Parts: sequence; C-alpha cells; structure tokens
Amino acid sequence: MKGKKNRYEWMIALRFLIKGKGQTLLIVLGIAVGVAVQFFLASLIGGLQISLIGNTVGSSPHIRILPADRIAKALSSSKTPSDSGRVLYDERTEIYSWQQYVHDLKKDPRILHAAPAANGSGFIERGVSLIPVFVKGLSDADGLAIYKIKDKIVAGIPELVSDSALLGKSIADRLTLAIGDKFYLRNDRGDQVFLRVGGIFDLGAAAGNELVVMSMDRVRSFFTIEGVSVIEVQVADVFRAEKIAREYGRRYERVKIESWQEKNRELLTALRSQSSSSITIQFFVIISISLGIASVLAIAAVQKQRQLGILKAMGTTNRSASKIFVIQGFLLGSAGSLLGMAFGLLLAYGFISGTEVTFGLEINARTLLTPIILALLASVIASTIPARRAAKLSPIEVIRNG
Amino acid sequence: MADVILKTSKLNKTYFGKVDTPVLFDLDLQILRGSFTALIGPSGSGKSTLLNCLGLLDPQTSGEIDFDGRLISAQNVNDLAGFRNAHIGFIFQFHYLLPEYTAYENILLPCWIRGGRPAPETGREALRIMEHIGIEKLKNKYIAELSGGQQQRVSIARALINRPKLIFADEPTGNLDRESGHAVLDLMAELNRENNVTMVMVTHDRDVALRADYIYELVDGRICKFLDVKKMGKTATAAAIESRTCLIEEP
Repeated sequence: MKGKKNRYEWMIALRFLIKGKGQTLLIVLGIAVGVAVQFFLASLIGGLQISLIGNTVGSSPHIRILPADRIAKALSSSKTPSDSGRVLYDERTEIYSWQQYVHDLKKDPRILHAAPAANGSGFIERGVSLIPVFVKGLSDADGLAIYKIKDKIVAGIPELVSDSALLGKSIADRLTLAIGDKFYLRNDRGDQVFLRVGGIFDLGAAAGNELVVMSMDRVRSFFTIEGVSVIEVQVADVFRAEKIAREYGRRYERVKIESWQEKNRELLTALRSQSSSSITIQFFVIISISLGIASVLAIAAVQKQRQLGILKAMGTTNRSASKIFVIQGFLLGSAGSLLGMAFGLLLAYGFISGTEVTFGLEINARTLLTPIILALLASVIASTIPARRAAKLSPIEVIRNG
Repeated sequence: MADVILKTSKLNKTYFGKVDTPVLFDLDLQILRGSFTALIGPSGSGKSTLLNCLGLLDPQTSGEIDFDGRLISAQNVNDLAGFRNAHIGFIFQFHYLLPEYTAYENILLPCWIRGGRPAPETGREALRIMEHIGIEKLKNKYIAELSGGQQQRVSIARALINRPKLIFADEPTGNLDRESGHAVLDLMAELNRENNVTMVMVTHDRDVALRADYIYELVDGRICKFLDVKKMGKTATAAAIESRTCLIEEP
C-alpha cells in the first residue's frame, strides 16, 4: 500500500523533467560529458598502466627466489628443518633443493607459474669476434610460459631441444644469425658447444632480447651448476607480487626473495602519481557536475514553486515535495550517466582508432561503474538542496502571492 | 439542532514581520453542513485570510478550529496535508492548475496524491464529473489551451474528485467575464444542492453573495454581519449588505 502511494512523486518528477525539455536536456548533457570524461580518463590511464606493466613484467618473472649468498644458520643446528621440510643443502650459491621449493610454490593458487632456471655467462664466437652473452636455461613448460616465449617467437620453433638455442632478437641481429645457422658457445673455462639457432624471440625489452635461451639441463651441465640458479615465479595479480614475496620470505629462511616491485620502484612511483592525478581530475569533474545539477535543480525549484504550492494545498506532504526533487536528481543522474557512457565509449574508440596508440583501453566493471555511481550520488546529493527548499515552502506563500 | 461542520472559536491571525499586522480578531463562526456560505467584506477586511485559515492552509495565530469533530490548533496546521487531501477542495481566483498536465490529469492529481495511480473507476468518475460540468471535450487539452471559464471548471472538477466534506472558493468568478462567472456559480450552486457538498466562498460581489444560503460580512478582521438569506429574503439581505452599521455588536 505504501509503495503504491509513493509512486506519484515519480510521476510528478518525471513530468516536470519531460515538460522542462530544454533544461533537462542541458543538465543531462552536462552530466553525460562529465561521465564520459571520467570514464575515458580512467580507461585510458588504466589501459596505459596495464600496458606499461605488461611491457615491464608481463613476460618476466614477478618473484625471484635466489640463493642466499651466505651461510645459512640452519646448518649449525641439524634439528632445524629446512624450508621444504628436510635439511638438505646449504643454498648458498645455488639452490639445490629446488624441486621441493617448486613443488611447494605450485600449491599456491595465487601463483601461475613456478619454474627453476639455470643462468650462465658465456661467449659466442662469430668470425673473429667473441661476444659475451647471458645464457638462460629454462624448464620446458613453466619456464617458457613465464617469458611467454611461445607468443614472442618471431622465427623458428619455440622448443628447447638439446643441440639448439633460442636467441633474443637483438643478439641474433648483432651476430647476423638466422634460423638454422650454427655457432659455438663457450663458457669461462674454455669449453665449447656447437649449437643451432632454433628460434628467435622478441620480448619487447632490451635486456630480454640479449638472452640466449637453452634447455635447463643443458645449461646446468655446460656451466657445471649442480642445483639451479634461481626459481622464477609468475603470479596472477602482478600488484600482489610484493606481498606474496614477503610471505614466502618469512617462510623460506635459506633463500633470498625479490619481487618485481623492489626492482621497479621508479615505475611504481610514476604509476602511482599518474593514478593520483587522474583521481584529482575526476574529483573536480564530480564537483562541477554536482554544482551544475544543484544549480539547475535550484532554479527548477524556484520555477516550480507555484506548482509545489498547489500540490501542497492539495495534500502533498513536505516529505513528498522534497522527494520529487531527489527523484528528479536521480533521474537526471541516471539519464546523464547512461548517455555519458555512450559518449565515453565513442570517445574511447574514436581515440583508439584515430591515434596511433600501442595500448588498449582498460574497460571493465570498475571504469564503467565508478563514473556512473559517482554521477548518481552527486546528482542525488545535489538535489537535496532544492529538495530542502521544496519541503520548507508553505502553500500559503504561493496562494497569497498569486 | 443545526448540524455544524466547521466552527471557530476566538480565531486570531497576525502576520509577523518588521511590523506585526493583526488581520483577524477573535472570530467565532459556524458553517452548517450542506450549506453555501459567502464571506464578504471590503478588500483588506481579512476574508481571504479567514478562508485560508478555515481551509487549513494558513495556521491561525491562536484560537481553535473544529473541523467536523477534529480539533485544529495553531500548532498542528502544518501536519494536515493528508487531511486537506481527503476532506477539503479548493477553488481559487486564479485556477492554480498545473500547466504540465492535461485537464483530465489535473482533475486526478488529488487522487494520485491520496493513493498513487487512480483506479479505473476513479478515472470514470472524473470523466463523469467532466461530462456533468460540460468539459468532457477538454479532457486531453493542456491548461494553457483553455479559456478562463474552462480552467475554472477544471479546478472545480479537481476540487470535487476526492469527494471532500468542504469546498473553499476564493473569488472563483473574480477572474472571469460575467457570463462564464454566472455559469461557474450556477455549477457551484448545483453541486451544493445535488451532492450536499458544503461550500464556503469568498467574494466581494454582492450579487454573487446573494446566491448563498448564509453571508458573513467581515470588516477590519471582525464579523460585522451574519445574514440568513432564505429567512430574510434577497431584497432585505441586499439592503442589509448595503447598510453601513454592523449588526453584530462588539462583545
């Protein structure tokens, strides 16, 4: 019964808006522009950040588990269990019990990939020149997945066969090596191995493209590594890498754990200040939308004073009178934000197709809904100013003054 | 014993401002159920103010109004929106219809306020009233498209739709030409007779007032004459209105 009774305020609010076409259109457009700008800004900056982060850490490990580089305390007391349950080795320069670590890490649902890797420095002989290279030995599945070698391969086959190597694009260019070409790789002790170029990859970053990638076992035997050099981990949410790393840092006492954030402080600071400047702009857009709605509705409240007086004489309560304006604010906010969303999407796609940007817009529930919710809130809050005025209006003021 | 629907005792109204303006002084009056009462008086005598107080639109400063058994003091007048909606109809000099709505929609507005979307039979009732007062053809016209007489008819229909106990009219013909004015008054008299609706009308026009059953004359915020038109006859009443002496002495 009460719900039915409340409906007439909607009916009146809607009629006031429909009959005040020009004004309604103006304020709806105002809100729409605000929402569009907010949405565009958020999705643009979001997309830019995602692409920046993707370029930085997308095809590299987020967390590295490294040898401790010192004698672990645990060795002095045989009773202290190791990180993975058993005391096995001192993980000083290499990680010997890597299988246990990998096994343990893979149980964590937040972790996408965990794979051991063996690193070594060697030289490639090409004609008369001897060029130093960084050799990375990866395990077949997870190791390749972390570097996204399969997606980044530009020539050849992304496979780790024992007599072939995958080369980064820069090093292949520099050595003018193509698929099928053969070369000698030397280690620091002077041993050498004859390898074929099995594939060439482009990781998009300078450091990555200097890599020579081989199968881990090959690297281990060639560089006489007994354990592994590092365990590389990729997590589902890159921003949680540091937290996850810290968690494991507390659990694993014998190894050193680094997250990508620790190595990219400057990038993170840049991203953070970009986000905060975008939030500042959005904040002021919201303020200006609210002021616009408040002023238009305040004018409407004065214009509709006569109608309100009549409605009140006929039995509209103060509460209902103010409700009429809050509903108008809500309707304006809804119409404006829906239109604004359409504008925003148009603007975004126009921008993407009209300019040569290398990143996509980040359009998700957050960038879509935040401006809508903010515009609705702003509209409703702004409408309380005329609503209060409407509540205070006495019908007799209107009747007496004609 | 007469059936009184509205009664005031010691009703006072003062407008407070930079200079306080007392308008009504200790008014005691009675309105009989089903009667047609006119409030007359020179301009500034307080007749419109009295009507607004009786119609519970303007709170009195002191004194009481007994509205068909409900006692209304100066304090609670602002909480009476629902009571006004259910029991009181208003007809003003200016039509006070909402320009955003058609004639038909305006007539139904009090029903909307009362209980949301009107039931189909309420819509039929509105059409019946419109037909009865000869405005059925104006159903879908907006207020600005209507003549003054038509607008006033629409506002009469609106005043009737919730079947109020009392209808207050403030110079309902004041803004109309003579012919439409008469038509509106005929209609009001007819509704009063046929539907037994109590009517209280403010007018400054003697001829208009003579169509009522009872006349209260206000001078300077006090009741100066009370005339029973039927008992006295129209000629005697007209003569009494003309007389400058007050028939009710100051207490």
